[in-house]
Amino acid sequence: MPLNRRRLAQALVAAGALLLTAQAALADQLDDIKKKGELVVGVLGTDEPNSFIDPKTRQIIGYEVDLARAVAAKLGVKLQIKQLAVAARIPELQQGHVDLLAASLTHNKEREAVIDFSLTTFVTGQKVLVKADSGIQNLAALSGKKVVTIKGGTQEPNIRKAVPNVDVVTFDTGPQAFQALQQGKGVAFVNDEVSLLDQHAKLGPAATQYRVLDQNISVEPLALGIRKGEKRLKDQVDATLRELEKSGEADKLFVKWYGPETRLKFPKRTFKIDSDKVES
Amino acid sequence: MPVLSFAPLLHGDYLAWLLAGLRLSLLLTGLTLLTALPLAIAIALLRLSPWRPLRLLGEGYVEAVRCVPLLVHMLFWYFGVPELLPAGLKEKVYAGDIEVVSAWAALTLYTAAYMSEDIRSGVRAVPGAQLDAALALGFSFLAGMRLVILPQALRITLPPLLSQTLNLWKNTSIATVIGAAELMTQAQRVESATFRGFETFALVTVAYLSVSLVLTGLAQWAQHHVSPQRAQR
Repeated sequence: MPLNRRRLAQALVAAGALLLTAQAALADQLDDIKKKGELVVGVLGTDEPNSFIDPKTRQIIGYEVDLARAVAAKLGVKLQIKQLAVAARIPELQQGHVDLLAASLTHNKEREAVIDFSLTTFVTGQKVLVKADSGIQNLAALSGKKVVTIKGGTQEPNIRKAVPNVDVVTFDTGPQAFQALQQGKGVAFVNDEVSLLDQHAKLGPAATQYRVLDQNISVEPLALGIRKGEKRLKDQVDATLRELEKSGEADKLFVKWYGPETRLKFPKRTFKIDSDKVES
Repeated sequence: MPVLSFAPLLHGDYLAWLLAGLRLSLLLTGLTLLTALPLAIAIALLRLSPWRPLRLLGEGYVEAVRCVPLLVHMLFWYFGVPELLPAGLKEKVYAGDIEVVSAWAALTLYTAAYMSEDIRSGVRAVPGAQLDAALALGFSFLAGMRLVILPQALRITLPPLLSQTLNLWKNTSIATVIGAAELMTQAQRVESATFRGFETFALVTVAYLSVSLVLTGLAQWAQHHVSPQRAQR
């Protein structure tokens, strides 16, 4: 036993030393990226339109992929896309398997403790759909009324926080909740903005009978993820994003992937790529 | 492995949510029992009626209701039937507790179908000669049933009826699909707020189990003290 324990201790020390040298080699990621001539970016590949597989070319394309391409061009290196699972995103970045995350990543305070974030690249949130003839113009008008939404997500707590005196009825799926709204069993339907606009658009001509309230009940900023402490890389990424914003290219990318011509039909961009601060 | 901790669930909002859910589940059980039992007796009588069209009607009801899952009944009574109401009334109903009312309707019709079969078997356990005797003495069919057969039949049927009540109690959980804020709905709400799914559903299990055990106990008591001697064996 003692022998085994000593061997284990030796192995641990060796492993630790190895880790240390690995860390040292990665001391500045920007130099490493330039040296190897490629930027490895982790994406989801399953989240249209941020990153998804183009059915024709079998290539991963999307809003975030285009942002990543711009960063690679700025650094003068090749872009290498790597597909990741949602739960694996942050560990893969921390272990250095990818240089950058462009994976529908929500920037929040909790995550700031483990990785750094670029400027906010997209702002989404949860919104409220009402019948156009209901006379409801803002969130405050929902007080004391019945609203419908989905079980298990953040929709219910968020609408209760936004409208303290609201009556919430929850369903298993979005379409069920939406049907309850259509039948008049609630005055409003609360859901994630992208799903809400998608469901609204699916109504076709009947869509004019419904309206999405302008106010968000919660805000979710998405950003690119950078390994903690890689300041020089973050500076380059942020500079790329600022240039995109300044040249109007960022707006073009938004219209290309989210705009009126796309499936999602976002009428206009309501945010700018100019800050890496978040509220919560 | 994450550490189990019930403490966050046992104070403040979360406990209040769960208790509100428990209250609604019990209310649904009670209300349904009040409406399902008379309906079940009526259906059982239809099936025992001397007149064939009435028998067919009762049989048709029982088969139609029993052969469709309760989940479908719930969705039907929530998304389907209320849409047939006239416009003015519909708005009034929808502004109220339509979720609870629909769940009540679905549970009543569903439970009555099962209970009517238990009552029918109870009636058949009373010797048929008693009804013949009642008829010979000048009682009508309904009077003979009410005064002679049913008082005995219901006592025989009490244990299986309590067992149906147990099913009814558990079936209230299906009302979560139409948004009624009963115990399951509130448990899911607590789960998504606390991420303590195991603890939440452990508490919910204890709640369902305790009420169920009380009902089982009642059924056993009824078996020994209310049922006629013959039925005890």
